Amino acid sequence: MSRLSPSLMIRHFILLIGAAVVLAPFVVMLSYSLKSPAEIERGTGGLFGAQEMMVDPKCALRSAPRREDVEAARARFPGADDGTILATLTNEARAACEVRPVVFNYRSAFQDAPLLRYLANGVIVTASIFLLQMVIALPAAYALSKLKFWGREAVFGLVLFCLLIPVHAIALPLYLGLAKIGLTNTYAALVVPWIVSAFGIFLMRQFFMTVPDDLVDAARMDGMSEFAIVWRVMLPTAIPALLAFAIFSVVAHWNDYFWPRIVVTGDRNLFTPPLGLREFQAGADGNLYGPMMATATVIVIPLIVAFMLAQRRFIEGITLSGMK
Amino acid sequence: MTTADTFTAVPRERAAPSVDRRQAGTGWLMSAPALALMLTILIAPVVLALVLSFTDYSLGNPGFNWVGFENYERIFTRSTYAKMLSATFTYVLTVVPLSVGFGLGAALLIQSLTRGAAIYKAIYFLPVMATLLAMTIVWQLMLHPSIGVINRGLEALCAMPVTRGLFSLSFLGLSPEATWFGRVCTEGTPLWLGDRDYAIWVVCFVGIWQGFGFNMVLYLAGLTGVSRELYAAAEMDGARSSWERFRLVTWPALGPTTVFVVTITCIRAFQAFDTVEALFSPGGGPGKSAYVMMFAIYEKGVTQNLVGIGAAITVLFLVFVMILTVIQRRITERKVHYA
Repeated sequence: MSRLSPSLMIRHFILLIGAAVVLAPFVVMLSYSLKSPAEIERGTGGLFGAQEMMVDPKCALRSAPRREDVEAARARFPGADDGTILATLTNEARAACEVRPVVFNYRSAFQDAPLLRYLANGVIVTASIFLLQMVIALPAAYALSKLKFWGREAVFGLVLFCLLIPVHAIALPLYLGLAKIGLTNTYAALVVPWIVSAFGIFLMRQFFMTVPDDLVDAARMDGMSEFAIVWRVMLPTAIPALLAFAIFSVVAHWNDYFWPRIVVTGDRNLFTPPLGLREFQAGADGNLYGPMMATATVIVIPLIVAFMLAQRRFIEGITLSGMK
Repeated sequence: MTTADTFTAVPRERAAPSVDRRQAGTGWLMSAPALALMLTILIAPVVLALVLSFTDYSLGNPGFNWVGFENYERIFTRSTYAKMLSATFTYVLTVVPLSVGFGLGAALLIQSLTRGAAIYKAIYFLPVMATLLAMTIVWQLMLHPSIGVINRGLEALCAMPVTRGLFSLSFLGLSPEATWFGRVCTEGTPLWLGDRDYAIWVVCFVGIWQGFGFNMVLYLAGLTGVSRELYAAAEMDGARSSWERFRLVTWPALGPTTVFVVTITCIRAFQAFDTVEALFSPGGGPGKSAYVMMFAIYEKGVTQNLVGIGAAITVLFLVFVMILTVIQRRITERKVHYA
């Protein structure tokens, strides 16, 4: 039973206006990625564009008939003068270059720039960062929670202090250090500053504290080494926390623009998706809004789809820092 | 931390000191990589920034000179850096209250719904997930002076007498120049990003748009912790209106959440970069009106290779973050707990 009281209607009204503002750029992005340049210029075509055939300007330029084409085609048009032949050939070439706007936009996004390479780089970088973060953080978290050693409190104190340092803030000295050892414009530069996550260590340590000591003792009785315990006993119990941290880490680094901007200069082979999009925006094609929005869509969509599929986990993961 | 007690309580370990020693060895071995990396990747750069901020070092130069406090002096005397501080604080002081306020408002409204709560929550959270750089470029396109949907929309509203009268408040007898909308209709739509009066506010708007969903989720989590009994008790004490209930119960109970949300939003706001770089690089906007700190560090320290200045701004930035954290700790320690 839903009775729409005036107060409930007002609340929905306010929330709907908010939702419209929040969704507006997503709608524009998707809509422009479907439209032809003319439709964007004139503001016509509705949400999805009319999808009328359009001529791909680059293709038309590429296949424009040259003098030798006219010479070669003379046999096909007996008696016609050069002007007519040229006009006919031009029309044929343009007809061969006709595409639907949606195809044009997305094809340009992938063909005019190595977008697939950028996406692959994004996957390589985010995956390496997360894996290395775990390789470093899990043993440390285990040692800090389950092993007794001199200096443990000091190490944990350092972890707590490092939690306060935003890595973006120290980007300049980090960049100088990497430049000194000649690592700028490498995958290593994109990954290295992030591999030690004080937050990851802290989070996993807090989680391991809740794992009963008996479990660890039993594993020791079975003759497992301490390292084996980390990977074969502790890791499986920590899967939920690990998943939340994975989402936190992957979202942050897929979307990161500041750090890649600093350490990758010019080498397109190392561009992450945001760098690729930025180059598109700044380049000569920057007024080709359709392909640009198609690129933006391709970059934004993977995380949005994953979010839709696992909303609760994503919200948990990204607001993880709220657990401090 | 109380972790040490759990171990001293285990008698078996006391009986076997060799186990202790082996554990100590493994403990150090396991935390050594993390320790070494924290020192080189996080601590050393902070020290390096501090040292470099007193020099005139440039990348590629063989040596450098100590210049004392010259870099800091510049930050506090040159107009460029006055603009930087003004843009940064304008941004922080706008984005923090509004994105916290909208986050709280959205959380309260959503929590009071019986239907549709999940869908609003998901929608408001979308910008948090989306690549900020990409969405900034979309906003830039929407704000395009001639073909952007926002100015097209304004023109359409101006063209219709009803909406024009409604939004310019001329039905109240006001002259067209009296309201913002009226001026838009008579003098033409704004240039937005090219206009000094709008640029920083657009950056703020995108910041709020992107961040308030994050705060909403934190507040929703906080709201689940407010006990029902408190509301009942407040009602018995005569708090009938929902405003009274909010003032007496909800707001105090959300205190810890608010302290946390404000701190984290502040730290994020100080780090604003993507929006400014995508919209206003190089330069930092019309009249440097959007020249925020992170962008200044990037432009001075990296692009122009003025490392000393960049390092000094970095140190200043770290000081701000430390101050914020200390304030947060102080408030949290003094906090009265309601839960």
